Amino acid sequence: MRPFPNKNGQKVKQRLSRDWKSRFVKLFFGYQSSSIFLVLIGLILLFTFFSKYRFSSVPNIKVLLALGPEFSIIALGVGMLMVSGEFDLSVGSILVFCSFIFIKLFEAGINLFLAGFITLAAGALLGLLNGLITTKAHIPSFITTLGTMMLWRGMALILSQGFTRPFNPEVFPFFSSILTARIGGVVPAQVIWFGVFGLILWMVLHFHKFGNWVYATGDNKEAARAMGINTDRVKTICFMIVGILCAFVAVLQITRVSTFSSRAGDGWELRAIAASVVGGTSLMGGIGSMVGIFLGSITIPIIENGLVMLRISYFWTYIIFGLVIILSVLSSIYLKRRKLRHD
Amino acid sequence: MSSFSTDGKSEKSLVKMVSIEKWFGKVHALEGIDFEVRCSEVVGLVGDNGAGKSTLIKVLSGYHLADKGEIYFEGKKVNIASSLHARKLGIETVYQEQALAPNLSISRNIFMGREPVRSLGFMDKKSMDRESMKALQSIGLHLRSPDALITMLSGGERQGVAIARALHFKAKLVILDEPTIALSVREARQVLEFIKQLKREGISVIFITHNLYHVFPSADRFVVLTRGEKIADIQKKDTSIDDLFELIVKPPSHN
Repeated sequence: MRPFPNKNGQKVKQRLSRDWKSRFVKLFFGYQSSSIFLVLIGLILLFTFFSKYRFSSVPNIKVLLALGPEFSIIALGVGMLMVSGEFDLSVGSILVFCSFIFIKLFEAGINLFLAGFITLAAGALLGLLNGLITTKAHIPSFITTLGTMMLWRGMALILSQGFTRPFNPEVFPFFSSILTARIGGVVPAQVIWFGVFGLILWMVLHFHKFGNWVYATGDNKEAARAMGINTDRVKTICFMIVGILCAFVAVLQITRVSTFSSRAGDGWELRAIAASVVGGTSLMGGIGSMVGIFLGSITIPIIENGLVMLRISYFWTYIIFGLVIILSVLSSIYLKRRKLRHD
Repeated sequence: MSSFSTDGKSEKSLVKMVSIEKWFGKVHALEGIDFEVRCSEVVGLVGDNGAGKSTLIKVLSGYHLADKGEIYFEGKKVNIASSLHARKLGIETVYQEQALAPNLSISRNIFMGREPVRSLGFMDKKSMDRESMKALQSIGLHLRSPDALITMLSGGERQGVAIARALHFKAKLVILDEPTIALSVREARQVLEFIKQLKREGISVIFITHNLYHVFPSADRFVVLTRGEKIADIQKKDTSIDDLFELIVKPPSHN
């Protein structure tokens, strides 16, 4: 008599724990950003082991945390813009043009806080221009921003004659410390800024009514308009957010490297789009989450840095980017199908 | 209120369009149309392609401005200049396949553009979810969760969500543009149930369609357009599906 109920009890317990596990697995895989999370973890483990732990060494992590956020902050804005159904190919050029404005203001001896605000305003203005041209003239943003990409890069090159210009952060130690200081001597301020921007955009996109307008605009513009949403204004504001983030990063980067370079932000536009796609954002708009975009935006700098730590030729970077983009999109399609089947 | 007469003449007029004219370039799309909808009346607006049904409705919903003519809403003369203005009056249009964002949840769709907010513009998700379920249930649609995405719903359920949205925002007149097109037989029947429910709630409905078999049981009155002209305005008791069919295909009698 004794072993019988005992056995039974065990079985029930086993089933319960299996249920719990399968529920967790279902929940995890049902979550939109799970695939990019797995890709990210995979990449980190790969880089850590194959670089003989150089990737996870403290000096490297310090570099990664100081350098990576510059790209990632911009990618956050690009992701949100893509949810609204538009692209921005001009981010690198807005960045370099704003860098030039900032260095000119610095050279003129203006208070750096004021210079910073003027630079942010300039970034917002360049974003506004992208938005107005795209929405008012009904030009696809791919074309509009292809034009402004060349325009602002060219302007920066002409005005700077391609020379680098020095910036001395020690003139305003307080200014440079809030941008690039190491908190507790370890965590770079850039990481905090990235986290703050991520948090703000997450709250806006998912909990603010503006976020709902962004999704509606990207998902079904006609429906959004029929419901009284000014879709042109929504898109233009998203362009302006990208512009402001570019300007912020311009100031951040100049403060970190103490130099203006006319090559700043070169090639970031496609990488920012790649980051959003890897993070599960649809190229057609309307689909994407800030968590996915956030994870996607850190994938790109991690790949760049990881390959350096593996001591693999830089030329491999693009091959790895290509593979990661395709693999993560494939896995998210697989997970989506799986979810639809299970529902 | 107390009037339940079958001829409908004694019921209060909700919206009245008088001699509406609309030109698109050289095309005379609407040729002096008179169109009236009374309170809690279901009007079937029928006609062949290009008859002017959509144009007339777009004038009423503020999408187009009429070139000539007057519109009276609840007895007062109005100049409906935008879709926002139309909605403020209580005229909600449910366009087929255009009304919803497929990758957004039910509650986000119902409150799209009119989200209830708490502070600083942050959405009141709890009240959105609660009110969404309430609105869906009021038209007899029982869905599992307000978080379900529109893509996961059937065609009939989608129409239901769009109609529930109109109902929640206290529409007095709901315009349904081809609500049963591209739906299965069962889904179409579900939509016809929603229409009955709207009537029971005291809401007027304009039902635009090609499908006389769908509109006939639901509507109280039929208005037939042909090439921008109104050729018939008949109570249900005075007509039949066959008569209406003849009216629609009959060429317009000019002069």
